Amino acid sequence: MASQTAFFGLFLYLLLGAHYTGEDYIGSTVQRFFHFDPLLALVTIVSARLVYAYFAFALITVVATILFGRVFCGWVCPLGAVHQFSSFVFKKTKFLKPTREEKTSLAWKYYILIIVLAGALFGLDLAGYLDPFSFLTRSFATAVFPSLAYALSSLSGILYGLGTTGLARSISQTLENWTINVTFIQGFSIGLLFLGAVALNARKERFWCRYLCPTGALLGLLSRWNLFKLKIDEEKCIKCGLCTQHCETQAQPYPNEKWKSGECIYCQNCASICPTGAIRFPVSARPEKMTNVSNVDLSRRKLILTTLLGVVAVPFFRLTPAHKRASLKLIRPPGSLPEYKFLAKCVKCAQCMRACPTGGLQPVLTEAGPEGIYTPMLVPKVGYCEYYCSLCTQVCPTGAIKKLTIEEKNKVKIGTAWVNKNRCLPYALGKPCIVCEEHCPVSPKAIKFLEVETKLPDGSVAVQKAPVIDLELCTGCGICENKCPVMDDPAIFVTSVGETRSVTNRLLLDISKETPADRQGAEFSKRPIEVRRSDSEPQF
Amino acid sequence: MKRRDFIRDMAAGSLALRFGPVVFAGQASAQAPALQLAAVEGESPYAITKEAVAMLGGMKRFVGKGDKVVIKPNIGWDRTPEMAACTNPEVVKALVELVLDAGAKKAIVIDNTTNQAKRCYVRSGIQEAVKQAGGDMLFVDDYRIKRMALKGAWIKEWEIVLDVVEADKIINVPIAKHHSLCRLTLGMKNWLGATGGARNQFHQGLDKAVVDLAAFFKPQLTVLDAYRILVRNGPQGGRLSDTQLMKTVIAGTDPVAVDAMGASFFGVAPRELPYLGFARERGLGEFQLEKVRLEKRKI
Repeated sequence: MASQTAFFGLFLYLLLGAHYTGEDYIGSTVQRFFHFDPLLALVTIVSARLVYAYFAFALITVVATILFGRVFCGWVCPLGAVHQFSSFVFKKTKFLKPTREEKTSLAWKYYILIIVLAGALFGLDLAGYLDPFSFLTRSFATAVFPSLAYALSSLSGILYGLGTTGLARSISQTLENWTINVTFIQGFSIGLLFLGAVALNARKERFWCRYLCPTGALLGLLSRWNLFKLKIDEEKCIKCGLCTQHCETQAQPYPNEKWKSGECIYCQNCASICPTGAIRFPVSARPEKMTNVSNVDLSRRKLILTTLLGVVAVPFFRLTPAHKRASLKLIRPPGSLPEYKFLAKCVKCAQCMRACPTGGLQPVLTEAGPEGIYTPMLVPKVGYCEYYCSLCTQVCPTGAIKKLTIEEKNKVKIGTAWVNKNRCLPYALGKPCIVCEEHCPVSPKAIKFLEVETKLPDGSVAVQKAPVIDLELCTGCGICENKCPVMDDPAIFVTSVGETRSVTNRLLLDISKETPADRQGAEFSKRPIEVRRSDSEPQF
Repeated sequence: MKRRDFIRDMAAGSLALRFGPVVFAGQASAQAPALQLAAVEGESPYAITKEAVAMLGGMKRFVGKGDKVVIKPNIGWDRTPEMAACTNPEVVKALVELVLDAGAKKAIVIDNTTNQAKRCYVRSGIQEAVKQAGGDMLFVDDYRIKRMALKGAWIKEWEIVLDVVEADKIINVPIAKHHSLCRLTLGMKNWLGATGGARNQFHQGLDKAVVDLAAFFKPQLTVLDAYRILVRNGPQGGRLSDTQLMKTVIAGTDPVAVDAMGASFFGVAPRELPYLGFARERGLGEFQLEKVRLEKRKI
């Protein structure tokens, strides 16, 4: 469908465009899509307990759904387009043969929605895992684009070999210009999940949209009052059942009274496949019976049970040492909120990873606990934080990474560098090096060098310049670790300690600094000060 | 092959000087051998670059018709021109124009950068300057880096950027900077940017590496940008106070002499830089400036 192709194209274009274009500030790219998503809006607002102006766009989707039904799913959603297209391919190739009447329960997506919403009440943001925008963006940014870029790059290698230098060169120069990083630690697992989601379409048409999508479920609940209701002209109908068999989302057009407004995505398949043209969608202001919205038996008992499940899931997700002590490898992008706030807002869309010019931002697997899976962290061995870049802070759709100017960003410390003297060439082997000092981007440099004496195996003494770190100046950007010539386990490395965003993951005691209480009267200072025990602790 | 080209062009160049239009206005130059080194001081980096090349006999002395010429500036860092971490874009622009005016088929500008390539190309101002001058800016391509025999005193083989060695003529356009390990990075050190592989391991013997690379690449012309030099926190600086205005460009056919004169801006004597000594021993040039045919000019 033209509309879906257009939106999918726009999505791809914007996601590809989220990189260093030559401008320091790239404006709004693909994150605008996210602001139209009512599930992300609802979950972020509830879990972070703050209302964000840019989520006002989600109201447009809400109003459109109330008026016109789930047109968002059928006409706009780029992941829906992927599923519809792959279903179409599976049907054409006979992998998928739709049954005459599908009886599978449609309830799962509602349960998922309830669990996500219940979690959000406790600051647990699960929306990102199955929200269509997050899922698609994450899959494309860390798996699909990198694989394509890798393949194209290999192709250019072959073309060089064949002597078609011009073509080979334009491919490689374009890839460099678009800055598509090809190293993603979780790229394989995220890619597998994406392939799995696509492969499910071989079982049921638009499997994801029917059974899994919490955003679709939310929109389905809103569609009850929509103005366009399916109407079968009983005189023309020959009861062939083609409409129900080929309905993309199991909305069951026939018989008319069983049609589910909450499932219909207005793809118009039924109307176009009907041999007698008996199906239309005339305007009707009559609200749908609740039981007919999805024909799902969301009984009170089941609702309470799933809500409870969502609530119970919260502590289960938090049985992790991540809340006690910070993880040394969890170097969050500059501008990230304190950990508990960050987790409440990050929707795991991986746009920051797409934007990172060095590819250093990587999806987390274990470092941030279960609720932090696929959130971003800097892995300096893969890529470092470019000194004059703040792109990751500009593309975050929910503000989990606060927008920063480059000047602001350069005042943020994301970690601290350490020298492993047992592996560092001047310290351990008495060889000249100090590559780290050369690359340190701050001026004056956070890595100084001192002449040190090293005893060599033959007993002689070598004197070399060796790196020493100035904690006050180090921002934790990680270029030193990235460029260290000790390949396997760099002799200089960054850990998260000392990061600006945390009050507990700190390094040096700084208790003599003046606080607001010092500027107040005496009785003010006798009140206890409210301080969180740990900034990685959740809100409840 | 390159050496033969070089000799041929030198011959052609001297013939052109002998019978061509008088390049050194006001000087009886027909008999005098060509200059090896020309230093020009002035307000515009663009104008002093052109003047310095003209003093050496003009670009036609180095570039022939239909040549593919590689111009190798230092674009190593994601820094703007006033930080003096990368070659001044106006200097590069002047050279691209001169090369194309001399009849070259292509003027390619390339560097294997340290920070992300695109950021360096854009923010150094060099991409825009090269575009304006009609040259081609090329990113280093992994498939165009191949291990080659350097036959150096220390490095026997290394990964080299093919686009540089496959050119008919090479022009080195470094910037004069402080460097914490080898004190100064001038012309010869700039060749690290035409290598690939684990080049950060060169630092284990940087002075020797610099000379091996300089002996391998052998540029026809070196143009050292000392318009604004970096005097501390090298090689990338980061503050205006790390830089100092010298408003000079040094062009030369002798890479060692160019570096020796560049060192004088920092108050460093040539013999204090070990790599200049190694380079002279290897016959790459002369660092005792009194033995070099040079001329200084102010415009």
